[in-house]
Amino acid sequence: MIASSFAIADEVNVFNARHYKADSELYSKFTNMTGIKVNLINGKSGALEKRIISEGADSSADLYITADAGRCGAMDAKGALQGGLTSAAIKDAVPKSFRTNKWVGIAKRARIIYYSPERVTGAELSGMTYEGLADPKWKGRLVIRKSSNIYNKSLVASLIKNNGKAATAAWAEGVVANMARTPTGNDRAQIMAVAAGEADIAVANTYYLALMLSGKKGAEQQEAAKKVKAFFPNQNDRGTHMNVSCAALVKGAPNKANAVKLVEFLLTPESQEHFTNNTFEFPMINGVSPSPLVVNNLGLDFKQDMKTKLASYGKNQAAAVEVMTAAGWK
Amino acid sequence: MRINFWFFSSLFVSLIIIIPILTVFSSFFENTTNYFEILKNTFLFEYTINSLCLLVSVLFFTFIIGTGSAYLVSFYEFPLSNFFKWGLILSFAVPPYIYAYSLTAFFENYGTAYTILKNLFGEANYNSHIPKFDGMLGSILSISFSLFGYVYILTRASFLYQSQQLIDLGKNLGFSSYKSFYSIILPSARPAIVAGLSLVAMETLAEFGAVDFFSINTLTTGIYNSWIAFDDLAFANQLSFFLLLFIFALFIIENLSRKKAKYHFNSRGGFKRKEKLKLSKSKALLAFIFCFLIFFLSFLFPISQMLYWTIKFPENLFDLDIIKLFLNTIYLVFLSSIILILFSLISNYGNRVSNNKILNLLSTLSISGYAIPGVILAVAFITFIAWFDETIIKTLGFLSIKKIFFGSILGLVLVYFIRFYSLAFNGIKSGYEKININVDESAYLLGYSKRKTFMNIHIPFLRNSLLFIGILISLEIIRELPITLILRPFNFETFATTAYISASEDLLEAAAVPSLFLILIAAFFIMITSKYILRDNNE
Repeated sequence: MIASSFAIADEVNVFNARHYKADSELYSKFTNMTGIKVNLINGKSGALEKRIISEGADSSADLYITADAGRCGAMDAKGALQGGLTSAAIKDAVPKSFRTNKWVGIAKRARIIYYSPERVTGAELSGMTYEGLADPKWKGRLVIRKSSNIYNKSLVASLIKNNGKAATAAWAEGVVANMARTPTGNDRAQIMAVAAGEADIAVANTYYLALMLSGKKGAEQQEAAKKVKAFFPNQNDRGTHMNVSCAALVKGAPNKANAVKLVEFLLTPESQEHFTNNTFEFPMINGVSPSPLVVNNLGLDFKQDMKTKLASYGKNQAAAVEVMTAAGWK
Repeated sequence: MRINFWFFSSLFVSLIIIIPILTVFSSFFENTTNYFEILKNTFLFEYTINSLCLLVSVLFFTFIIGTGSAYLVSFYEFPLSNFFKWGLILSFAVPPYIYAYSLTAFFENYGTAYTILKNLFGEANYNSHIPKFDGMLGSILSISFSLFGYVYILTRASFLYQSQQLIDLGKNLGFSSYKSFYSIILPSARPAIVAGLSLVAMETLAEFGAVDFFSINTLTTGIYNSWIAFDDLAFANQLSFFLLLFIFALFIIENLSRKKAKYHFNSRGGFKRKEKLKLSKSKALLAFIFCFLIFFLSFLFPISQMLYWTIKFPENLFDLDIIKLFLNTIYLVFLSSIILILFSLISNYGNRVSNNKILNLLSTLSISGYAIPGVILAVAFITFIAWFDETIIKTLGFLSIKKIFFGSILGLVLVYFIRFYSLAFNGIKSGYEKININVDESAYLLGYSKRKTFMNIHIPFLRNSLLFIGILISLEIIRELPITLILRPFNFETFATTAYISASEDLLEAAAVPSLFLILIAAFFIMITSKYILRDNNE
């Protein structure tokens, strides 16, 4: 009954805020290969973080896995992480801007623009950037989810990093003025709003469209997904905003070595392929191709923003919340 | 003042329960501000307005649905009226967050409603014509249909004991049935209605799952977010203070009206049982439609949506270890019910035999846990244990106690205990109040020991209350979300946590299977004990 970490066992304790079936399949595979048992506590990131911090040095947590670099950065800022994810295998696999010594990206996603080809012309989209979302020509045509959403926080944090806080504050006001409706629903709901004609453009992550196209969400959503197209913003400057799911090494981790092993395992080509084919994310490492559904429908040869360090998402998070709230972004 | 076993056990329980409240308020003057005052004031205003809007609307809906259906079912005979009598309480099996999933699944763009229309009338753009029930409206509907049962049950029980004479009086005065309803029936059921509504109000203010799903910022989710996302304890406490003020006011109202309601029940001697009126055809149809609509919307709709999805995406059924989830859920239910009932029996018995004022005060204090939203209790518990461990245990040179309480069944059951103690305590208390104290005295005169009095006289008398309380606690724990989510051990999931996690990951289809099972188990519990819930055994 008492936490199982009292037992001397070959195990690794994962505080997990990513709940894809594909992930648990990978953990089973890891256990089969290494004999190391993966103990999971699933939950929403906020509550998991609070528990890790409260447990402090006695925390049973080894790894914290979550779906946004901003969260890993924030945990680092709170001093809850430790260095150690520095093995050659990790360094070779993951580009520098997608890791620190305390956390590393394990799968990539881009936050992009979806549009209705019926109602949005190529001329309108030409050279489109995130900054352009504030352009009055989109008035009443844009949907994006709430400001409390971490993906939006990280996107806005990256804009603050690149354009400064004052410019981003003005931008946020422009975005709010362009919204077709008060923000509601998740990323997929934004894409469906474009399909259903509620709006002309939406901001959402890449894997959602592939998920809908895959038919895993039913025939209706597959049909809806065919009515929207993907557009990668900022191709003429820094590139499209990228984010990662990240694994962070918790301070005081009782099974540090096993934690590093698990991260290395998640970065192997086999695991990466498993991610791309099931969660439709982009691979973190070179040499693995995204799912054909992603390649065929979203395109592959887009310019990723490799310049903006992902660590800045955590650092600018508070400022991002501040500018969005001040702009009246619900 | 006698200091004995009863005193210490009550003191112990009260101390445990008072901990989270102290934790919330102790750091009231701490300042861990991380973002701007101006923004905070905007938030405070928004959260309070949202909470109030939610509260008022839910109270309005539950009042109409709850008293309306209770009135029809208690006074009239119409098609299926006997079925609706207990069918309506099945709504308790559907927690607000699962109702929220069903609403979204049905009404969203390209959702179930769209599929139905497409299959009936062929391709067309139906999306813009399908109403969207999300955000505030979605939250109001989800909470109302899930909680109106409180009003229904208490109001119906009070209608049941209204005297036939009172109603005859109305007739003799030439009142129409409307006038009888407004000027006689409704006023005399007021304490019960108020008691039901205050329960609804407390649950609404504490609601987490549904409002979080619809991302509505209320005081409760606001506290959670400012505490957890922003680490702003000071602001979280400021919000908690407002919320607790609200809730304590309701708590007092509820307790007062409960006392009146009890007085009402007890004075039923000599009342003859009411004859139910047979309604004319058109009126019977209207009554039937009203009750059927409520039954359909509160129970059939969510369970059908979940069933539909389970069938449509059957792979989710095989991905889950249903048996393990079932055993985990049942394990928590039984363990917590037994502990809760045991301790409330001890406290109640202690109060009875020692009749100590301080003891009474302590037990009153210890029922306040129910007034605090589960999510806040869980965070307060973690904060307290962490503080206690760092400042006391470690200073004294002992090993850390955190692992005993965090992520353990012990910690989980302890916080359930704090949250649901008042349910158990009050339930047993009202059972005890029905046993005249003279019964004890007579037993002593007959040479019964205290133990024997307890075992041979109190327990048999209390049996029905105990069973009823056991069911209430079980239902609460099957549906409970935030505490389980935050405090459960590694590799330990229940139907509620599995449903919530899938839903929060935008995998609503996968949430359907655990939701369906949760509803079925809860409905089963309700069905086997409906006569205790409906108190028909007192008829």
